[in-house]
Amino acid sequence: MTDSIFALIAEELGRIAADKGEVLPPLTADSRFLDGDLPIDSLDLATLLVVLEQRTGQDPFREGFRQFTTVGELAALYTVPA
Amino acid sequence: MTGRRPDWIHPAFRLIEGEEAFGWAEIAALPVPAGGVVQADRPSRVLAALAAAEAAGQGLLLARGAVAPNGWQPGQGFSVTLESSGTTGTPKRLRHDFDRVRGRLRGVAEEGARWLLTYDPGAFAGLQVMLTAAAAGALLVAVPNSGAGTIAALAEAARRHAVTHVSGTPSFWRAFLMALGGADLPLAAVTLGGEAADQPLLDRLAERFPHARLRHIYASTEAGALFAVADGRAGFPSAWLDQAPDGLDLRIADGVLEVRSPRAAPGAVDADGWLSTGDLVERRGDRVLFAGRLDGLVNVGGVKVSPEAVEQRLLAVDGVADAAVLAVPSPITGHLLTATIVPVPGAGEAALRAALRAATADLPPAARPRALTFADHIPLSAAGKKSRKGSQ
Repeated sequence: MTDSIFALIAEELGRIAADKGEVLPPLTADSRFLDGDLPIDSLDLATLLVVLEQRTGQDPFREGFRQFTTVGELAALYTVPA
Repeated sequence: MTGRRPDWIHPAFRLIEGEEAFGWAEIAALPVPAGGVVQADRPSRVLAALAAAEAAGQGLLLARGAVAPNGWQPGQGFSVTLESSGTTGTPKRLRHDFDRVRGRLRGVAEEGARWLLTYDPGAFAGLQVMLTAAAAGALLVAVPNSGAGTIAALAEAARRHAVTHVSGTPSFWRAFLMALGGADLPLAAVTLGGEAADQPLLDRLAERFPHARLRHIYASTEAGALFAVADGRAGFPSAWLDQAPDGLDLRIADGVLEVRSPRAAPGAVDADGWLSTGDLVERRGDRVLFAGRLDGLVNVGGVKVSPEAVEQRLLAVDGVADAAVLAVPSPITGHLLTATIVPVPGAGEAALRAALRAATADLPPAARPRALTFADHIPLSAAGKKSRKGSQ
C-alpha cells in the first residue's frame, strides 16, 4: 500500500504551494505534476523529491531516472516499511 | 515601422506566439520601442526591434526582467547587447556584433522545419533558435511566458503544431518528457545545450524519439558554440584531444578543459590563443566527461548559481548562527540548492524562515535555497570545510 506515501506527498506539496501563496487543489492519484493541473513548476517538483528523500530515507532515482507523470506513479516508486 | 525585410528573415518565415500568427508583414507593423531597449519577452517584439535597429544602424539592448537599463547607451552601429541571468541579482551585459551572432549559425535547416522556442527570447540560445528559424523560412512556435504552467504550455504547443525541431537544456527536456506523457511527436532533431547532458537522459531521449537526430552542444560564454556531440553518449570522445572537429583544439590543464577556437572573442584568449572554459573534466577511457565548474557554480535547471553567494546571504540574516548551502543532485533540475540553518538560541523558527525567504527573494528562483532544514550544527568534511556538494 502506498497510502502513507500519498499522504506524505499531499502534505509536502501543500506546504510547497503554501510557501508560494498558492492553494493546492484536491489531490488524487491521477493528478499530473507538470501538466498545468497543479500550481507547481519543475523547481517545486525537484524540491518535493528532496524532501521525500529526507523524510523517507529513500532515493528511487539513485540509479537513474524513472518515468512518472502522476502523483500515484511517484508514490509507487517508494516502498512503505511494514 | 514599415521597413524592408532584412536579408536574415526568409520570406517564408512564420511565427506562432500563443494564439497569434506572424509573418514579416505583421512583425514589421509592430511598434518599435524608443531608446534602443526592448523588453525581450516575446520573439515578435525582439525580431521587430532587431530589424529596426539594423535599419537605423543602432545598438539594441534585449532587456530581461525588471532591472532598469541604467546608463546603457546604444552606441554607434548595429549591435546586440544581451543580459545574463546572473545569480547576484545584477545582470551582466555582453555586447555582440550581429554578424558574429549570425556567423555561428550553421547552414540552412531542413525545409518544412517547425521549431519550438524553449529558451528565453532574450537569451543567447533563444536568439540563435529564432535567427535559425527566421533564416531558414521555418515555422517558429513560442508560448508567452506563463510561470508555473510554462512547461505544460510548451508541451501543448508542441503537440498542437507537431513541432519537428526542439532545442533545450537537459532540465527542460526532463520536465518536457514528463509533461508530454505518451503523446506522439514527429521530432526530427533533439538538441541539448546550456549544461552537461547526462547519459540516462540521452538514453531516454533516444528511446522516446528513435527517429530524431540527437545532439548535445558544448558552448562557453567567451568562446561561443564550440562543438556538437552526435553519438548519443555523454561527454565527448577522448580522441578529440588529439584531433578536434571544426578547426578546434582541445586540451586538459589541471583538470580544466581549455580550447583554441577560430570563433573565440579576441580579448578572452591568451597569447597562444588558448582559453580556459572553467569546466572541470575527467578522462575515462575513450571519453572525456564533464565534472562541474572550477568556480563552484552549479547548474540548477539551466541557470548557473553560486552556493557560496547564497550562503553569504543566509549568514547575514539576524538569528542565524551558521548556515550551509548545499547543491544536491536532482533528477528534475540537475541540481537543487538546499540549506541547513543553525539558529541562535531563542530564535523563533517561523520568523526565521520568513526572514531567510526575504533574504533571497530578489534572486532568480533557481538560486533560492529549497528544503530548508534546521539543525544544531553543520557537519564538516574531513578537511574541516563545509562540504559543498551532496553525495550522489
